[in-house]
Amino acid sequence: MESKGKGGGYLLSLEGIRELFDRLREKYRVIAPKLKDGLIAFSDVDNFESLPFGYKNVEAPGFYSLERSGGYFTYTHPYNSFKNFLHPPELTLIKVKKENGKLSFQVHIQEEALCLFDIRACDLSALRVLDLVFLHKNPHPDPYYAGLRKGLFVVAVNCTYATSTCFCSTMGTGPEVKEGYDLLITELSEGFLVEVGSERGGEILEKVENKSDAERRHFKEKAQRLGETEATMRVHFEKEGLQERLYGRMDSTYWEHIEKRCVACTSCTQACPTCFCFDILEKNQLDLKESQRVRVWDSCFSPSFATVHRFNLRQSVHSRYRQWLMHKFAYWVDQFDCFGCVGCGRCITWCPVGIDIREEVRRIAYA
Amino acid sequence: MPTLENPYLLKAGRVEKVIKECEGVYTFHVRTQEPAYPGQYNMLYAFGVGEAPITIASMGEECIVHTVRAVGDVTRHIDQLREGDYLYWRGPYGNRWAIERAYNKTLLIISGGLGLAATRWVFEEALNKPIKRLVHLYGSKDYDSLLYRYLYENWSSKVEFYITLDRPDPRWKGKVGLITELLKELELDEDTIVFTCGPDPMVKACVRILQEKGIPQNNIYASLERHMKCSVGTCGHCMIGPYFVCKDGPIFRYDLIREYFERKEV
Repeated sequence: MESKGKGGGYLLSLEGIRELFDRLREKYRVIAPKLKDGLIAFSDVDNFESLPFGYKNVEAPGFYSLERSGGYFTYTHPYNSFKNFLHPPELTLIKVKKENGKLSFQVHIQEEALCLFDIRACDLSALRVLDLVFLHKNPHPDPYYAGLRKGLFVVAVNCTYATSTCFCSTMGTGPEVKEGYDLLITELSEGFLVEVGSERGGEILEKVENKSDAERRHFKEKAQRLGETEATMRVHFEKEGLQERLYGRMDSTYWEHIEKRCVACTSCTQACPTCFCFDILEKNQLDLKESQRVRVWDSCFSPSFATVHRFNLRQSVHSRYRQWLMHKFAYWVDQFDCFGCVGCGRCITWCPVGIDIREEVRRIAYA
Repeated sequence: MPTLENPYLLKAGRVEKVIKECEGVYTFHVRTQEPAYPGQYNMLYAFGVGEAPITIASMGEECIVHTVRAVGDVTRHIDQLREGDYLYWRGPYGNRWAIERAYNKTLLIISGGLGLAATRWVFEEALNKPIKRLVHLYGSKDYDSLLYRYLYENWSSKVEFYITLDRPDPRWKGKVGLITELLKELELDEDTIVFTCGPDPMVKACVRILQEKGIPQNNIYASLERHMKCSVGTCGHCMIGPYFVCKDGPIFRYDLIREYFERKEV
């Protein structure tokens, strides 16, 4: 069969998808969804059987459970995000050694060929956001992120289901994957439509034997399925003009209302695929001959986050919530020319008290 | 993607001179040939303890000058350094004072406490620039906290350099009272350019008086202090509104940050 370049499409059977996975495994460290402790989690995945086929995640504010379902890619995104791999929760920036009173420094930049297998539209948007934060809109591009990001192979999957906390259609990031992938899978009634988004995507697919040319009806079914997914989500607020509206509501008394519920647990910022804030800690050997400078995730909800000397500039919890929400929907636009929210809904699901950011944005900006 | 410069790499410089300014405050002259500009800062590193952002107080003969007050773990450690030791740091970071805006105009510098370290270099530079009138107000909480005593004579012989102490002291014959009192007495034309660095409440109070004197907010520049960890606009700690103090500042034209600076807990 003749190979197809960018833009081409094939129909693969499940066996074909397995073949594709195995081909990728030969070349890459594959990060994919996997069943883990009752959750679907992005993890290192070595074999195709580990994919959580036949499950779907049911989510609501402060609620998560898994149910059996009939198809394959029937879940949405994992509970955690690709962020855990490209901006790891803990990463050594520099090793400092002390010898005869003098310091020497060692840097190890990890450069690994990673493959994200099964990333959804919201997370793919978040990947573009983090690229801006760490690389393209940063005067000091981050070499650690760059090292892990460099060879990243992206297999995206279109969502044929949305859970109740999904709001990609509000943020304009999904459910359809439109760009930024090497290969794109859509589950159809006859099999899996696989579209090629890059040359290397085409090359790897070329080696897959179980495939046939996609036909017009396959693309039609894809559009229909995406339409159905989108129809199950409602638009929660108007994105246009949101930034200006929020800037006008910084003194709203509603923020204090949120303080009555928010417990500043930092869950939302950990679950968020774009929250990038970190702290740098010193990890010392007991003999004080070596110290590592370690970057660890931090959160604007942490009590010491904005502390200068002894003064905490954001003492109240509501001021921290305001910082978070204003950053996502207003400051971020000034800083990086995009929203800091992609509508994945993780912060809603993983909020222990069920604070729903869609509702809060609506009430603050539009009530 | 080309190999990127690592922003976390540290460099070393020999401590050439240490001056004890007052209890717990030391000035270090550290050998380096790294270029820097007035208003910028470095991240000074203490092994096993961490880093602290410290303004560059001046530039000498192939030396940078840092004045460090022992207020936290890192600064306490750095203040132990003595001549011949090595200081480790990364930088310089941040923007610089817009001194060109003050050419052929009045330049007023207002420094509160350790804020003098952030204005000293631009003040020294201004002495040799075409500034019509140069005025520097410096407020210190008490006599024992005064910095750079060895420079006052030279400064006051050249320009209007006034000091006020918050608390009276038998050893002090000069002004006593808040810096705002000193500022109120000052005659200024409306096109004065103002550089200020000091505690947030001092900056806010001074801006109010400057406004009463008819000086527009876009003539005022303030150097801010916030929680800076990475210094390269990535860690998020120093944000004030849409700005990262570490890379968009530390110096801000006042009209641009007023919204966020004057509002509580932003």
